[in-house]
Amino acid sequence: MKLDFRPWVIPVVLVVIWEIIVRLEVISASLFPSPLTIVETGWNLLVNGDLMTHIGVSLWRALTGMLIGGVIGFVLGVLNGLSKKSYIYLDTTIQMIRNIPHLALIPLVIVWIGIGEDAKIFLVALGVLFPIYVNTFHGIRNVDPNLVEMGRMYNLKGWSLFKDVLLPGALPSIFVGLRYALGVMWLTLIIAETIPTNEGLGYLATNAREFMQTDVIILSIIIYALLGKLADLIAQFGENRALKWNASYTK
Amino acid sequence: MKPEAIQIDIKNLKKSFGPKEILHDISISFDKGEFIAIIGKSGSGKSTLLRLVASLEEITAGELLFDGVPATKSEANVKMMYQDSRLLPWKKVIDNVGLGLTGDWKAKAEEALNKVGLLPLKDEWPSTLSGGQKQRVALARALIHEPSLLMLDEPLSALDALTRIEMQNLIENIWEKNNFTALLVTHDVGEAVRLADRIILIEDGQIAYDEEVNAPRPRKLTNPALIELEEKILNRLMHGEEEPLQVSETNQGNSLKAVLSN
Ligand SMILES: Nc1ncnc2c1ncn2[C@@H]1O[C@H](COP(=O)(O)OP(=O)(O)O)[C@@H](O)[C@H]1O
Ligand SMILES: [Mg+2]
Repeated sequence: MKLDFRPWVIPVVLVVIWEIIVRLEVISASLFPSPLTIVETGWNLLVNGDLMTHIGVSLWRALTGMLIGGVIGFVLGVLNGLSKKSYIYLDTTIQMIRNIPHLALIPLVIVWIGIGEDAKIFLVALGVLFPIYVNTFHGIRNVDPNLVEMGRMYNLKGWSLFKDVLLPGALPSIFVGLRYALGVMWLTLIIAETIPTNEGLGYLATNAREFMQTDVIILSIIIYALLGKLADLIAQFGENRALKWNASYTK
Repeated sequence: MKPEAIQIDIKNLKKSFGPKEILHDISISFDKGEFIAIIGKSGSGKSTLLRLVASLEEITAGELLFDGVPATKSEANVKMMYQDSRLLPWKKVIDNVGLGLTGDWKAKAEEALNKVGLLPLKDEWPSTLSGGQKQRVALARALIHEPSLLMLDEPLSALDALTRIEMQNLIENIWEKNNFTALLVTHDVGEAVRLADRIILIEDGQIAYDEEVNAPRPRKLTNPALIELEEKILNRLMHGEEEPLQVSETNQGNSLKAVLSN
């Protein structure tokens, strides 16, 4: 694979300009730490092990929440996509809850669940549930009915119809939901981690604010961004693998 | 167990969608192993008739019998081919052919693919195939089940002329080697004349015309009797019922018999 450097020209130029401006003391270095300072801070935190601990804790929160919310959203989506009855009973309720911005629930979550891990995982799970639900549901509903009819004619029913026709047909849409949910996952986590805590990237940033360590604050923001990008790349990779038949079509 | 072609008896069959009656009182029988072509203007109810026979739609009134048994109680293996191949895009060609089979089906699927001349493409995605190749795969997928009745709803109408002729030969060949009743919907009268033992015209939800084609196979489209028949049917199609129907007698050993059913 040949790497194309052109998309990176502007970011690199911006970082260099930033470094120069700080070096020339045009702006305050304590408010706008130079890129090199941030790298140095990151390196130090990495060496003493702090960074990995915090990233690990944040990742665990993110993925646990994602798994719980994702599974619930997926199961509800499949259920309502397949069963008219289930749809009639459940969808309105789900849509009502979906319309509450889940982050608005933070005060209530703190009162009910507290400020521990559960609260953060709960918020992430709640946030990712809906995009997964909606896209799974629509994915299943929009599977070409002609293919379903054909499948039935070839003796597919129940699980085999689901596995061979409905799920693969819904998969492109489910991946759209997954990638969207990953974005929601990080966003939720960033905010949820401002709930008092003593571990995680959010803690790193919040704690740094107390001590005016702008370099650490910016570092945590960058790490959030990198993790977000990484998650999306992994999802994209999985998508390309799972939808190979589709990729060969668009080629 | 060798699959057996079935006899189909349709008695006073009606089909309505809501208040709209699409098929009015159709009565007709198809013999075991007969190749029937159904023609008619678009919207005349040809697909609906096929879907009823395939039990994909419910009959509004009347009877549908397979070998004398109501179709709903019959174990007869019925398969259908459509204008679009309806291959699962997420399954490789061979897995599409083996769809719905259990146990050791790979060898059978390869054999079926071989029959339609596509064995070398068994590991391709359907999206990489041409229209004609897709229809061949769909045909292999149906054949592997050794159907007693194979229905084809305009299976060749999206193909180019050359591919269509190849596919017609293939279908005829497979029909001759296997034992199944074939119902082919086509808007190509030439195709009907070329392939069918009997041609049926559906008009306004009724069987307007029913004619045997007795030319020997393999048929040449240059056969004057076939050309005459094609012309006659085209005339009938275009000018409707008011045109007096000429019952032609040809003397090349092919008796072409027009049987007006109503
Ligand atoms: N599921 C359906 N619901 C309502 N109307 C239908 C349905 N299927 C077919 N029809 C109507 O029945 C008529 C015959 O359709 P069809 O059998 O597809 O015609 P053909 O195959 O001869 O072109 C058309 O007017 C069509 O609109
Ligand atoms: Mg039709």
